[in-house]
Amino acid sequence: MLDRRMTQFNILRGAVAIFFALLVAAIFIFLTSESPWESLRYLLIGPLVIVKDGAIAFNTRNMLEVLAGMTPTIFTGLAVCVMFSANQFNLAGEGCVYVGAFVGGLIGVYWNLPPFIHPLVATLIAGIVCSVIMLIPALAKVKLGASEMVTSLMLNYVMLYVSMHFLNFYFADRSRGATMTHSFQDTARVTQIVSGTSKLSWGFIAALIFSVIVWFFMYRTRWGYSIRMIGINQSFALYSGMNVAGMIIVSQMIGGMLSGMGGSFEILGRYNQFLWLNLPGYGWTGITIAILAKNNPAAVPLAAFFLAYLNKGCMLMSTKTHVASEMIDIIQAAIFLFFAAEQFLSGYRQKIVVKTAREELLMQGNADIENGGAENA
Amino acid sequence: MLKQLAEWVFQVEFLFVILRITAPILFAALAAVVAEKAAMSNIGLEGTMMLSALFGFLFAYWTQSWLLGVLGAVIVGTLLALMMGFFYLEFKTDIILAGIAVNMLGEGGAIFLLFMFTGLRGNTAILVTPNILIPTIDIPLIKDIPFLGKILSGHCILTYIAFLLVWLIWLLLYRTPLGLNIRAVGESPQAASSVGVSVKRIKYIAIAMSGALAGLGGAFMSMYYSQGWNQGMVAGRGFIALAAQAMGRGEPVGAMLTSLLFGTAHGLSSKVAGLPNVSSFLVSMIPYAVTIMGLFIYAWNRTRKLKKRGIRRLTGV
Repeated sequence: MLDRRMTQFNILRGAVAIFFALLVAAIFIFLTSESPWESLRYLLIGPLVIVKDGAIAFNTRNMLEVLAGMTPTIFTGLAVCVMFSANQFNLAGEGCVYVGAFVGGLIGVYWNLPPFIHPLVATLIAGIVCSVIMLIPALAKVKLGASEMVTSLMLNYVMLYVSMHFLNFYFADRSRGATMTHSFQDTARVTQIVSGTSKLSWGFIAALIFSVIVWFFMYRTRWGYSIRMIGINQSFALYSGMNVAGMIIVSQMIGGMLSGMGGSFEILGRYNQFLWLNLPGYGWTGITIAILAKNNPAAVPLAAFFLAYLNKGCMLMSTKTHVASEMIDIIQAAIFLFFAAEQFLSGYRQKIVVKTAREELLMQGNADIENGGAENA
Repeated sequence: MLKQLAEWVFQVEFLFVILRITAPILFAALAAVVAEKAAMSNIGLEGTMMLSALFGFLFAYWTQSWLLGVLGAVIVGTLLALMMGFFYLEFKTDIILAGIAVNMLGEGGAIFLLFMFTGLRGNTAILVTPNILIPTIDIPLIKDIPFLGKILSGHCILTYIAFLLVWLIWLLLYRTPLGLNIRAVGESPQAASSVGVSVKRIKYIAIAMSGALAGLGGAFMSMYYSQGWNQGMVAGRGFIALAAQAMGRGEPVGAMLTSLLFGTAHGLSSKVAGLPNVSSFLVSMIPYAVTIMGLFIYAWNRTRKLKKRGIRRLTGV
């Protein structure tokens, strides 16, 4: 009874949080847009439907783009789930996506491998490189007690600048106007699922598969259990004999691996060269996704879809009605704050708990009276 | 090359520049110190600085008065911090997550708001007028001292305020009842509350002060340091400040010393960038790499001391 009501409550709470976030968005839209209703329409249903001459049609192209946009953020979302579950506030996913894309891209340019194998090898190596990088904050945390949060924040910049250095001085294609690598070999591309401009690649399927794998790891294996237990109560985990230090390292290495793979799939699936000159922001989106999913890997694709949908809506709103697309960050921050708020609507939750308890007591009481009556007879 | 670096470090102009570069980091580091004393990790400093820098500049532009601009920046910084405090204290949002949300606002939200208010994208270079920029002042007497005068005099007003605040924050924390309460709430909230201190109220005050200090840092960045607001302006200074706080043992003076260290790293990196055959990218990395190394050395030192006293940390290492 209580479980069911709590689920209902959690869904309601999520809905209210999203409502508030969209309300904030709407306020800004009404402040800035010349045609606020149209802007709002593009934001909310733009990615889903096309309205042409009064007729409404399903917008296949935009929806495919939404799905394509989920690929890197599912990976970063999973990465954050694993690290935050162990209470490791490692925020270097952002830099890892960049390095992963760079490493994956380089392998895509310079190695010669058969198709299908090529992108997989590139992505795997990108993941391994990033998990090794994550050893820096992880070991510093375990061996020295240095806060992984501050280290990882600094590490983002170090990863960006070191990659930029190698890109500019060793791997840049000088025949082009902008800084970028040579084109990837055809064998290195992650194949598209549907032809067209959407760029929805098999990387998306890989992301979904990894959601299942990471869920299995977190909820059905001994290591996953240890990681979650460290997050819930580190002293308990330590005194019950779990390898706390080892698991703290493992969780951050997995986080690095997943983020790096996300970057590699993204670059080999949707680009022809590596040409990012700044951190792409997928790492931070991953944090929002993990919060929305409550650190549950199984819920990550759904959360990623939601944010990719809003992102696409913001883009449409920006191109069609000139509201700056950075609106997405304001919406994201608002959703983030309300979702992370443990006590948001806690008064109402308390009422549900009390009401359920009363009802159960009452039923118990009635049952006792009946039983008691039977005994006395 | 090392010799050349050493020469630079002791040049008058370079020492002057270091103080200028240190000031914004110092503001943010002091903000981190005050919040951390009340047991709150204010990771939102980066975003707070971004937004207060933007609004400081805009207020100054609208009123054509740098003083009102600085005031606006402080108010915006305080409001953002209070928002963080509200979610943290009323809704039990993890303070780190609340900080990340503020950083998201600072990242894209600042660009959005700039566009909304002015129609500009990414920077405010065309709005800059001399009235907006915070003036520099020469200090009488000191400016006539040979070597020192050139280093210490002629800074922007906020630079002096930054270093003055080190002392003021120390006074506040260690010589006033409010400071005592802040430290008590940070060290043992139960004990503080058992003697009648309202933990919530003290935490609100601490986070608000933290936001106000970050606001000053933001104003310094947009209205003096980079002469106008632009997108990549804060560049991790809010995060570096957290490291400065940790390495400075959470004390105002310690934070000042580590801020000076990071300021020197920044200053050197812009000097080295001018040399031929040096990768500007590796040079840009220096301040962040120095910060990481500084953190590690500090943590290693502390761990060694704890081990000597036989204290094991919870990871069991």
